Amino acid sequence: MKIIVFTCNWNAYSALEMASYQRLSLPAGVRPLKVMCLGRLHSGLVLKAFELGADGVLMLGCPPGECHYEFGNSRAEELFRETRALARLLGIGEERLQLGWVSAGDGRAFAEKVQEFVKGVAGNGSWLKSR
Amino acid sequence: MAEESVRRDLDAAQVVRQTRAYYCLECGKCTAVCPISWREAGYSPRRMVEAAITDRGMELLHDGRLWSCLTCRRCSQVCPSDVRFSEFTRGLRALAREAGQRGHCSHGETIQTWMRLMANPQLRQNRLEWLDEGLRTSTYSDTVYFVGCLPHYDVLFHRLGAQGLEIARSAVKVLNHLGIEPIVLADERCCGHDLLWEGDVEHFCKLAELNAALLRQTGAQRIVTTCPECAYTLKVDYRTFGKSLGMEVLHISQFLAQKLEAGELELRELGGRVTYQDPCRLGRYLGVYDEPRQVMAALGLELAEMEGHRGRALCCGTSAWTHCGATAKSIQVDRLRQARATGAEILVTACAKCQIHFRCALDDAHLGDEIRIEVRDLSTLVAEALTGKACAVET
Repeated sequence: MKIIVFTCNWNAYSALEMASYQRLSLPAGVRPLKVMCLGRLHSGLVLKAFELGADGVLMLGCPPGECHYEFGNSRAEELFRETRALARLLGIGEERLQLGWVSAGDGRAFAEKVQEFVKGVAGNGSWLKSR
Repeated sequence: MAEESVRRDLDAAQVVRQTRAYYCLECGKCTAVCPISWREAGYSPRRMVEAAITDRGMELLHDGRLWSCLTCRRCSQVCPSDVRFSEFTRGLRALAREAGQRGHCSHGETIQTWMRLMANPQLRQNRLEWLDEGLRTSTYSDTVYFVGCLPHYDVLFHRLGAQGLEIARSAVKVLNHLGIEPIVLADERCCGHDLLWEGDVEHFCKLAELNAALLRQTGAQRIVTTCPECAYTLKVDYRTFGKSLGMEVLHISQFLAQKLEAGELELRELGGRVTYQDPCRLGRYLGVYDEPRQVMAALGLELAEMEGHRGRALCCGTSAWTHCGATAKSIQVDRLRQARATGAEILVTACAKCQIHFRCALDDAHLGDEIRIEVRDLSTLVAEALTGKACAVET
């Protein structure tokens, strides 16, 4: 299974680092990708992940009111809604594309969110028809 | 008119041969009318053809200008040697892609990515949710309505206020009024037009294969589209690439003009002064100039033509969602100024992409009122004007 986790550089990535200091394990197949701000993502990049074979894409960024760039996370919400609508048309289920917030340094919350997401994706098999 | 397009070919020299570039007289008429040459110093169709002939196109493959062409066919119209420059560009782009070159995709490549995703035969799409209760479709009919990427554009360009699904709903409503419950395919794919013109022949062929199989299975006789690019691709390019459908392909304006002529369609007069944008694929590619005008006349609209119209119409500024930038914007703004100059209240388009491009240009805080004009798709106007008795539905 291939899972892409986009993290912002500030809250979410710092939580990822903390998770690794705490030696919390993440499910196999999870590939975190850091961007400076989640608002920098684009529907094209998210769909690209699916094109390249991702089974799910999780976007983790700063909690409301805590964005390092003030409004990056609300941008992220907008692009998330747009991408989810496109994904729906393409038959990519809601459980495969999600957006969440994690506070800086909260390694446990990071690991839990990722585990929960992976469980949701794994329960549904591939989003493509099996032949 | 020869409608033959360029086959995929690995050899640049063959592209030159097949598109008649060898016949170039170096007169430069193409460059004189090219909307890109007017705005980008250094871009010249004539010189590109010359370069291709002298080194068999190899240098051109790494030239960024290869991606500037709108493929609007304005140049071929004035060419005394019938050099097919748009197809020449398309052929070289395919080779350039193989050499690792890419055009600059607008909109973060979202559009090309969903198109390539659709090339996967295992996709389980969810694309018919827009069909309201009032719209009737069926599994068996002589007519397929080919929706194209309208549901997707509706999502991506919602903020521009572009008519996406409103066009699709209007088309089904009009067809229903004519007594047709069209087949609308749940598994339809993008026609592949944009990928093909951007040089991605591989994914185009996959899409064409899937669509051709689906369309042939329906047993329908005709395909109606609201997108000129879908119409041209299904009609001409599928054949060029060996995926003949054996079905009649019509843009909705052609279909409606037929029905008007046969007296099968009555429309309420809307009145008002409008102008019309000839889409490149509908006009210069398919030669459909009169039909949309007949429909507008039936709507009681007074048509005020823009400075360049019919074969001389200016393109909406971008094609295949590639290379959008200052040049595209300049073309769009010029076209909107031309539209304003006619004194029309509405700029009527017959292509969702023209509409999206114009609406994007209209969203300009500085030019604002200078270019302001309402943009409407022809089929939405027709849907508004349906009157008289609706035909009994075929069974």
